Amino acid sequence: MVAGKQDALLAQMRKGTLQYCVLALLVDEERYGFDLVRSLAETDGMVTSEGTIYPLLSRLRRDGLVETTWRESTSGPPRRYYRLTKAGRSALDAFNDEWGRFRDAVNHFVERKAG
Amino acid sequence: MSTTPDRLVERYLKHLEVELDDLPRDRRREIVDEIAGHIAEARAGLEYETEADVRNILESLGDPADIAADARERFEIEPPAPAEPFKPGWTEIAALVLLLVGGLVLPVIGWMIGVIFLWVSNAWNVRDKIIGTLFVPGGVGLPLFFLLFALGSGGGIGCVDVISDSGQTVPQACPDSGDSTNYFGIAAVIALLLIPVMTTAYLAYRLRHRPAAATA
Repeated sequence: MVAGKQDALLAQMRKGTLQYCVLALLVDEERYGFDLVRSLAETDGMVTSEGTIYPLLSRLRRDGLVETTWRESTSGPPRRYYRLTKAGRSALDAFNDEWGRFRDAVNHFVERKAG
Repeated sequence: MSTTPDRLVERYLKHLEVELDDLPRDRRREIVDEIAGHIAEARAGLEYETEADVRNILESLGDPADIAADARERFEIEPPAPAEPFKPGWTEIAALVLLLVGGLVLPVIGWMIGVIFLWVSNAWNVRDKIIGTLFVPGGVGLPLFFLLFALGSGGGIGCVDVISDSGQTVPQACPDSGDSTNYFGIAAVIALLLIPVMTTAYLAYRLRHRPAAATA
């Protein structure tokens, strides 16, 4: 039961932080969905079902954190490219600050005990 | 001609569309289109596509139900409520009791009140209400009334009084056995008793297993 709760907590943390990982991937360049998913999947443990990225992208677009443009592709049908907006950029920056503090605070307690 | 991989993809996307049914149309369209694009990109990247490759692509995407659950959470949409067994209120209980035995307490009127409760309740659909009304008017009151009347007339079940030429009612002598009308009468009364019991049982069953049309 404790293990189940821990799994659920980790799943929630992953879900909550995933959107900032997506925003971070868009800082330097615009990307299309498949490309984003491939980059996220390279890091183990971040995405369990790749398909869940798409509802997230849709939500980010509706919240104005990303914007999209269709571009022709050389290898197939046009692709929808995602680009960070100003609002997206400041949301990412704000999260970064908080996350750094949070991570350090948790590590301060957890790592010392474990070590 | 569509290949097996094509059919797998088609089935996956259809399944996804169904799972996303409670999302607003434009969001559902967007997600399904993007995932269809993802699958096309992944397939285009394969040198020689095998059925196993396509199955792996779909598996990495995840179960459509999981994607839909995630999407509902992202868009803050309430998950579809699990079908709860309907909790019958006093209207339903009164309807069932009065339809069955109301006619015994208050002949005709007791049953009619039951009918009113039956039609007022929104637990049943029109079909069920018609069944409840027609089988059998009066509930068990009617056959029991017949039974009492038949016994009270002294002739016993199935004995028919015959009106003579002079206009007088002459009770027919009833043989103890071998009279086919006797059996017919008993069978008819039993059937008339059983049908309302069965109807009530059916209506009670429908309370627990409600037809989709009746749910608010």
